[in-house]
Amino acid sequence: MTSPSLTRWFVVGLALGAASAAHAHHSFAMFDNEHQIKLKGTVSDFQWTNPHVYIELDATNVYSEDKTVKGWTIECANPGILNRLGWKFNMVKAGDEITIIVAPLRSGEPGALLKQITLPDGRVFANGGPAGPALIQ
Amino acid sequence: METTKPIVRAYGAALLALCAVLPALAQRSDASRSSEAVVGVPDFSGTWERYTPPRDPNAPPRGTPGAGGGLGPTFGGAPPPLKPEFAAAYEADVKMRQEAERRGEPIASANAQCLPEGMPAMMIALFPMEVLQTRGQLTIVQEAFSQIRRIYIGEDAPVIEDAEPTFFGHSGAKWEGDTLVVETVGIKENVRYRNAPHSANMRIHERLKLLDANRFENQITVVDPEYLTSPLVWTWTYQRKPGYKMYEYVCEDNREFVDPNTGAQRMRFRDAERSAGGER
Repeated sequence: MTSPSLTRWFVVGLALGAASAAHAHHSFAMFDNEHQIKLKGTVSDFQWTNPHVYIELDATNVYSEDKTVKGWTIECANPGILNRLGWKFNMVKAGDEITIIVAPLRSGEPGALLKQITLPDGRVFANGGPAGPALIQ
Repeated sequence: METTKPIVRAYGAALLALCAVLPALAQRSDASRSSEAVVGVPDFSGTWERYTPPRDPNAPPRGTPGAGGGLGPTFGGAPPPLKPEFAAAYEADVKMRQEAERRGEPIASANAQCLPEGMPAMMIALFPMEVLQTRGQLTIVQEAFSQIRRIYIGEDAPVIEDAEPTFFGHSGAKWEGDTLVVETVGIKENVRYRNAPHSANMRIHERLKLLDANRFENQITVVDPEYLTSPLVWTWTYQRKPGYKMYEYVCEDNREFVDPNTGAQRMRFRDAERSAGGER
């Protein structure tokens, strides 16, 4: 999915940005930015809190042959950052069908950092500068 | 009543008069600090964010391959010039943190545990900040972690022996022309900028100056002869964020925690059993 040269540049970027990334609420190094995945599923809970907003999602991996539904915890930025991007506290609700692009935890646990969300009405939102953009479609 | 002596009545009247005047005196004293309008000096009041110079429009977006650093606000200045007896341990700590980052197992920072940044790191303005200024006080409210510091204009910083160690310290300030010169002491030794150690005698000097109607700069100098071979100096610049209303920030549900075995930052799941599953 990601070419070696792209990966190499991304590692360089991460190294250069390490000091600044570390100055977000916390480091994002535990998430695998180089192997982003696309999930589609149903929201079981949307939690609008600091230091992070969370989406609980029962979802399948769009590009995987395994279509087993799994429960995922998706970490978003904080309410302030998301509000400045146009999000609202009640924008996502339990029962919503959404599609997201995320960087999964390197540990293999079912948690991930949000990169991009597509809402049931088709609107698309990012997760703010510190989290970085989606690198897949 | 008829038997009350004139002298008692006189004392009583004087006491009543004093009671009436005291609140007025107290109010006047308070007004000079936190409610009296700014006159004849620069006014930093307003909402602000860290100023970042315009980027090359052809450069890749932040956080993408080839974009380099700048995923967010950056630390200022060169690495702290620590004395040799502290430098080796500091460099080892920096290296250990960098290697943990590369492994994808970052060491949990104080921020990740929802502790405030404290001084001087809070002035990085990770999120927007609000400045409230009166004749006798500059109050800085950081949206990040709801941090607040109060700078008392016209007062000296306390002597260090009397300064209770705190996250934001104790700040006195005076005007030098158009520049507000601030001195801060009393920072907890575990409140660290760039993870560098410091002594209880560290002093932070700041020079706040309006550059134009919409920007001000803060020249920061950290002086700590016990730990540093020379002062650590850098400048942060802020730009107005007109009409912005500050957001509340309470770490209500922090799911980042420190792994007791490795010190690494981990993520807690709502459903604890799911995190034990380790499968996706």
